[in-house]
Amino acid sequence: MLDVSFTKVMNNFTLHSSFSSNQGGVLGILGSSGCGKSLTLKCIAGLYTPDKGNIMLNGKILFHSDDRINVPPRRRNIGYVFQNYALFPHLTVYKNIEYGIKQLDKKIRHNKTMEMLEKIQLTGYENSYPSQLSGGQQQRVALARTLIKKPELLLLDEPFSALDSHIKHLIENELLHIIRNNYDGIVLLVTHNIEEAYRLCNHILIIDQGNTLQIGKKEDIIHSPSNLTAARITGCRNFFDVELLGEEDGHYIVKSKNLVFRVIKSMELSPGKLIAGLRANDLRISPESFNELNTFPCEVIDKIEGVFSTTIIVNCHDNILQVEVAKYTFPQLSDRQHKKLMLHLPADRIFLLGS
Amino acid sequence: MVSSYLMNTVMDNVNLFPLFLSFRVAVTATLISIMLGLPLAYFLSRQQSKLSDFIDTLTNLPVVLPPTVLGYYLLVMLGRQSWVGKFLEEQFNIMIVFTPTGAIIAAMVVSIPYLIKASKTALLEVNEDYLNAARLLGRSELNIFFTVMIPIAWRGIISGITMSFARALGDFGTTLMVAGSIPDKTLTMPIAIYDALQAGDKDMVNLLVLVMTSVSIIVLFLINRLEGKMKKG
Repeated sequence: MLDVSFTKVMNNFTLHSSFSSNQGGVLGILGSSGCGKSLTLKCIAGLYTPDKGNIMLNGKILFHSDDRINVPPRRRNIGYVFQNYALFPHLTVYKNIEYGIKQLDKKIRHNKTMEMLEKIQLTGYENSYPSQLSGGQQQRVALARTLIKKPELLLLDEPFSALDSHIKHLIENELLHIIRNNYDGIVLLVTHNIEEAYRLCNHILIIDQGNTLQIGKKEDIIHSPSNLTAARITGCRNFFDVELLGEEDGHYIVKSKNLVFRVIKSMELSPGKLIAGLRANDLRISPESFNELNTFPCEVIDKIEGVFSTTIIVNCHDNILQVEVAKYTFPQLSDRQHKKLMLHLPADRIFLLGS
Repeated sequence: MVSSYLMNTVMDNVNLFPLFLSFRVAVTATLISIMLGLPLAYFLSRQQSKLSDFIDTLTNLPVVLPPTVLGYYLLVMLGRQSWVGKFLEEQFNIMIVFTPTGAIIAAMVVSIPYLIKASKTALLEVNEDYLNAARLLGRSELNIFFTVMIPIAWRGIISGITMSFARALGDFGTTLMVAGSIPDKTLTMPIAIYDALQAGDKDMVNLLVLVMTSVSIIVLFLINRLEGKMKKG
């Protein structure tokens, strides 16, 4: 159980961090760069001292400003994998892994280290230096070095940002596999990439400009972001200013410019100005009519080709929307450019936010 | 030919005392510099305050001050009339001025800035993440200093120590002011070269100059090699 609630002021930046996590598994801390993600981890680890507040881990107070408690990092028993791994360049892989358990008997130390090397599949590399390893191998050594101490909390600070994208997926899997098999405490993973957060984490915490915006199951975070910024950070690209006109059959009826559509009613809202959000990949587009609720004609304005998907920008009753479609479905759409296509807005995928 | 000629002259009539004294003074001064300078360099590399700025400036002062001025300050501070001088003489019967101890102190004061500066730079370059990683792995600050900082920064530190040794070995002005040039007591090599030249003792001058030049070249060579390796990582 991790319970965090503190304020840290640094130059012009103020970080208010407030969340708790009692599940095992991975909690992703998501936010754009400079939003205070890493600083949050560093405060929890004790590398920076918050100005006010408290940090509790498994019933122990690590920091409490009123009681003047501030446990030094070396006594917090927290594992930390740095963005650049921070392996000691002058020590071999073996000595790096062994660094944190020097107080143990030599024989036990040797056994534990060799066991760790086996777990990270680097047996035979004990006499190599970090500079002789690949990025993924270095990362595994960094993980082994901290897991050997059986930390109560594991912090991963942008662990994949230093890796080439083509090997990233492979290494993500490996790393998570090692963590799942050898560690059952709480894991916090800092990332600025929603895809990565979604793939690796069970729960997601969104931070923006030093403030905690939302914490919850990853599915809930994607399905119903708490506000506009949270929606943007999680990758939503379509927003409209709408007016709530009324409700009918468990749907809200909303109007954006000349477009009137329905949104599944998931919570109580009073009529007035709202913001509707809809993810580009939740929209459906086709030459034929869907014969479903919320289907409207639209006109293609532009297309942006990605590697695996294409983003089509359309105008639908004076509303500009981005639609992401798998690439193989696009050729049949592309020859109809500038012609009318049909656009479907799934009523259960639209979320409404107070403006 | 040259070396055998030199050897013969050494055997015959050259007094080697200045050579040995200089090395003794330089080695002792360097050892004290390491003990005082390294912790100070560590402090300066980790602290950013008005106090550390002030100390930083103070440690660099001997580089810019004329040796005679520095020597004068030392005389004022450590002389028999001074508080420190009186205390040492009365309590421990130690005299500093016009003794080898004075030469050591003079050599240390002029050479320690080089050690501090180089070590500070080397320690500053140690990535904070290494230290944080070591902290989170349960090590104390003192332990981290010896197991992480020194091993990573050693090339820069050694280069500073070498530079400082060379400077201590070659000091003339400050040593002359504080320790004087008493033959067979406080006469160090650089002063002996001057004396020998005044006395027209060419053999002595040649030998001492050769020794000083060789030491300087070796020191420069060592520093260059270390710095080359540092850049390669």
